[in-house]
Amino acid sequence: MPVYTRSYRNYEGTFRRRGRWMLIVEQELRILVKGKIFQFLCLGAFLHWLLRLFQVVAYDVIMQDPNHPMAAMLQQAKFLTVNETAFFDFLRIQAPMVFLICLLAGSGMICNDVRNNLMEVYFSKPITWRDYALGKLLSLVFVGLGFTALPAIVLVVIHNLLAPGWETLTTTIWWPVEIAAFSLVIVLPFSLGILACSAVMQSQNYAGITAFMILVANGVIAALLAGFLQEENYLLLSYPMSLDRIGQAIFHQPNPVFNLGWGWPMAFVAMVCLLCSVIITRVVRRAECAP
Amino acid sequence: MALIELEHVEVHYGDFKALDGVSCEIDGGSVGLLGPNGAGKSTLMKTLLGFNRASTGSVRLLGHEMPRGALQVRQELGYMPEREVVSPKVSAVSFLTYVGQLFGMIRVDAMERTHEVLNYVGLGEARYRKMETYSTGMLQRVKLAQALIHDPKLLLLDEPTNGLDPDGRLEMLDLIADIGQRRGVTVVLSSHLLPDVQHVCKRVIMVQHGRVVEDNSIEALTAPRDGQFEVQVHGAQASFLDAAEKLGVTCVQQRNELLLLQVPEGASGEVLFRAAQEAQTQIRHLEPAKSSLAEVFMEAMKTPPTPSDEDAA
Repeated sequence: MPVYTRSYRNYEGTFRRRGRWMLIVEQELRILVKGKIFQFLCLGAFLHWLLRLFQVVAYDVIMQDPNHPMAAMLQQAKFLTVNETAFFDFLRIQAPMVFLICLLAGSGMICNDVRNNLMEVYFSKPITWRDYALGKLLSLVFVGLGFTALPAIVLVVIHNLLAPGWETLTTTIWWPVEIAAFSLVIVLPFSLGILACSAVMQSQNYAGITAFMILVANGVIAALLAGFLQEENYLLLSYPMSLDRIGQAIFHQPNPVFNLGWGWPMAFVAMVCLLCSVIITRVVRRAECAP
Repeated sequence: MALIELEHVEVHYGDFKALDGVSCEIDGGSVGLLGPNGAGKSTLMKTLLGFNRASTGSVRLLGHEMPRGALQVRQELGYMPEREVVSPKVSAVSFLTYVGQLFGMIRVDAMERTHEVLNYVGLGEARYRKMETYSTGMLQRVKLAQALIHDPKLLLLDEPTNGLDPDGRLEMLDLIADIGQRRGVTVVLSSHLLPDVQHVCKRVIMVQHGRVVEDNSIEALTAPRDGQFEVQVHGAQASFLDAAEKLGVTCVQQRNELLLLQVPEGASGEVLFRAAQEAQTQIRHLEPAKSSLAEVFMEAMKTPPTPSDEDAA
């Protein structure tokens, strides 16, 4: 068709100004959920949640009913008890899954934009570097919380519905807060770390491998130090152990993985978050110097 | 107030001075930014967009100081980057809708505009395919479409015909010319290809070593030269030249049968007919000599580099 027979109308609508980071979150999630690997990982996470759901049902329905034929058998299984430890374990087991999902979703987020020259296109639109960075980060955080805090809080609600009464409610009233806090401690540093790797690496594969290797190497070095020097407090340097220690503090668990208070691992995690934020900011600001 | 105002703009990449005191104003129409590779065209484009901060001088677009007013400017500006842009996992429709939303459109409006601009740039049913399967020509069309989706006042195009076959190139240039002429959008087209600029633009700004070395309308740059004529004679060319020399005419250039002659100051082309009469030859072709844009460009590119360029080299 010749050009002179084609045209487009003038745009007469309005332009919204706020919340452009939400569009970035929306777009990232839209691309992510179409991925086959993501769907597979979702299935894995869902199976774990189903097991926990069985645990809640078994504890609240069967074990509380002395006349139930399976009650006597389940009374022996102490691990089925629904308490803070159960939710702490649930989140600990979800953590590697969340790491893998964040790795899948986040390792290409910035480096692919750089490689495909999309940053130039995005920043020629009226979005700020904060919108961009926040959008990328929050899309990972929301995915992570979708696999940790959300299913765990749903389990707490189900637990309250199946075992109604003031006693259950008063016992569990702070559980959602504890779950949300520990979930955020797991998800936020993972997200920032993976985004930082994506920002400094040139390809998604390198970024993913780098993030994975840092995590593994960090754990190994801390374990070696703790083993050789016979000092378990060196486990603080292991990122997963630090997360565990914070989780133990939040969920009031006995027998901490090392004796240092939760403030130390919290400071370590905060330092990692800060460092990653600086790296991400520097890379994004290199592409966009407008305020 | 001009749409684009640059005053003594300098941009540095480390020690290298990429723009060296660039000053110009653009107040509408289609303007070509010409220069060889590495002259500073893309840097100038990026400075206009607010991607580069000028170390000295001021950059104003649509009345806003850059890069401080970048967000307001970008709302009314479309930019087509030089390098290939691809969002591999999504279709052109999805990508453009997203871009429209980034401009602040609601999703329904963005989707509607997406289809309008994709029709305009001539991307057919391929718009529903993933972008990773597109040819270079298709990606160029998507790049143009994303710059047009919000109906901009000002369009910055960086080498828009890169990688296109001759047909695709012509169609792209027709589209750009149409945007500038029929839709009244101010177009700044950066290219090192003179025919592209000539096809679309009325005015050119030539850049070399980060400096503006020529800024004028194409019409003025290629206007007939004072007292110079292109002449072709039938008969003895040598005796015609002898006779012309006696009348004060000088031969500037001789290319086969075509002569480029300079008549004395104040004289007209009539003197050449007299010379032909005296030499008993016939004039078969006579027209005032004009410079081609290529000649003007070559002349402008002879500008010597500054010491800082030499240091960087």
